[in-house]
Amino acid sequence: MRLEPEQEAILRGERGRGMAKAMETLVVYGKAFGARRLVPIRSGHLAGTFGILSYKGYYSILEQLVAEGVKFKVPTTANPRPGQKLNLLNRVLFSHQSRLEANLASLGVIPNYSCVCYEQANVPGRGDVLAWAESSAVQFANSVLGARTNRNSILIDVCSAVTGLTPEFGYLLDEHRRGQVLVRLDIERMDAAALGFIIGRRVVDKVPVIEHRDFSWIELKNMGGAMAAAGAVALFHVEGLTPEAPDLKSAFDGAPPTAISVSQKDLDAMRIKDPDQSDLVVFGCPQMTLEEASQLAQRFTRAKVKKPTMFCLIPEAKKRFEATDLCGQVQRAGVRVADCCPVAALAARVGKRRVLTSSAKCLCYLAGTVYGTVDDCLQACGAGS
Amino acid sequence: MTTFKGTAIVAGRGAGKALVTRTPINFTAALTKPHNLLPWRRGEIRDRHHDLFGSNVAGTVLVFPACVGSTFTGMVLMQLMSEGKGPAAIVVQSADSLLVSGAVLARVWFSKGVPVVEYQPDDLFEKIRPGDHVVVDGESGEIRVGMELADR
Repeated sequence: MRLEPEQEAILRGERGRGMAKAMETLVVYGKAFGARRLVPIRSGHLAGTFGILSYKGYYSILEQLVAEGVKFKVPTTANPRPGQKLNLLNRVLFSHQSRLEANLASLGVIPNYSCVCYEQANVPGRGDVLAWAESSAVQFANSVLGARTNRNSILIDVCSAVTGLTPEFGYLLDEHRRGQVLVRLDIERMDAAALGFIIGRRVVDKVPVIEHRDFSWIELKNMGGAMAAAGAVALFHVEGLTPEAPDLKSAFDGAPPTAISVSQKDLDAMRIKDPDQSDLVVFGCPQMTLEEASQLAQRFTRAKVKKPTMFCLIPEAKKRFEATDLCGQVQRAGVRVADCCPVAALAARVGKRRVLTSSAKCLCYLAGTVYGTVDDCLQACGAGS
Repeated sequence: MTTFKGTAIVAGRGAGKALVTRTPINFTAALTKPHNLLPWRRGEIRDRHHDLFGSNVAGTVLVFPACVGSTFTGMVLMQLMSEGKGPAAIVVQSADSLLVSGAVLARVWFSKGVPVVEYQPDDLFEKIRPGDHVVVDGESGEIRVGMELADR
């Protein structure tokens, strides 16, 4: 790999041991993928925001950087908080939360605390090079916004944010952004999250190109989040909708090499047979936008929910939602309106309470979770008809 | 004994009993459940969606197709390795950015390496069977498969 003189100097330790190791990390990481150089990034996004007591290595590295006075070189946002104040168990599980947040603040993080950073806090443009973590944000930035980032791990995200650099390989390069699998749809009632889960399972780490559908922004968010959890999809295209797929020919740069087909039957097979066989209903993974929460809230027309129900919103969206009458309506119905990550917040829930969710990403991570469509979930919690 | 060669991705040398799966692994879903907080269950796979549920990766040569899911992966692997509870070596069909990050982070920040060798063909799962004793060289990419260990 060829380094600029300034990068060599950092590697030699002229800006401290922490910065030297951050640079070394990026160089070794890049070399493993044949990167020839480090390139500047426009922004960072960090996934390591849960102060779980067992991740001592992560905290020690952040503390070393803070002690040496290091700051993020580019605007850098961060993932949701884990709901550390939700109950006593979470206070213990996430006992490092305040220490972690203090360190991130010292490094200069933008405290958006949402996985949906691309809605408002950190919106890249087409062609921008990034070094983000958070699989769902990575795929949205690549696929829907046409920015360029690899699937970077926690700590790689930090090393890139402090140096302002990322090794040039993978999804930064044109040749890795072309479609690899055509996804044909035979679906009457679209459920984008379930579709994302199925595509993730089937294509694993390939670049899928989905036949044209007019997916909404919210559907793209929830479908992509599922694809990046059930699979390792960093980039997908939708024919005639996403920026790098005006038509199939340009998305594939020729003819599709392979194709798969997803049917209504496949989507329906994801759903729990009886949504009432659940103890808790969760919406918002990735976190909900104001529009998404408002749409759902309109369905809560009855007096009380039948079982505990949780909305998880982008913190900024939650503030705006709370200023609306709809928020009062769902809260009076007994819905808990939160701005944390539901997966982290419910990981240590007491007993074997079965969670029903319309998030196929949540399904991948939260033990004891079953899946239903948004309507299944609304039926289970007794909202409207 | 058979010997074959893959692509060396991350340097180092490791040996152990093969833990083999044809299902991609989501390391975050597998290794960040409340059970994994217990020091002796750090490396235990707790993903109900995975066929290795209940197996422990510590000291094994982990043989699998690919990493999927969350970008926690690198930190999770780094932490395991820094505590000496990670796999002894990794043989994977597709070495992605997250798996490699874990090995790189452990080496740079904690001087704890784990060799990673990539071998794409599907006959990987005929060459290495569960419980085989495997030696992996992350410099040359050489993989040696010996006889099954007696304590399988």
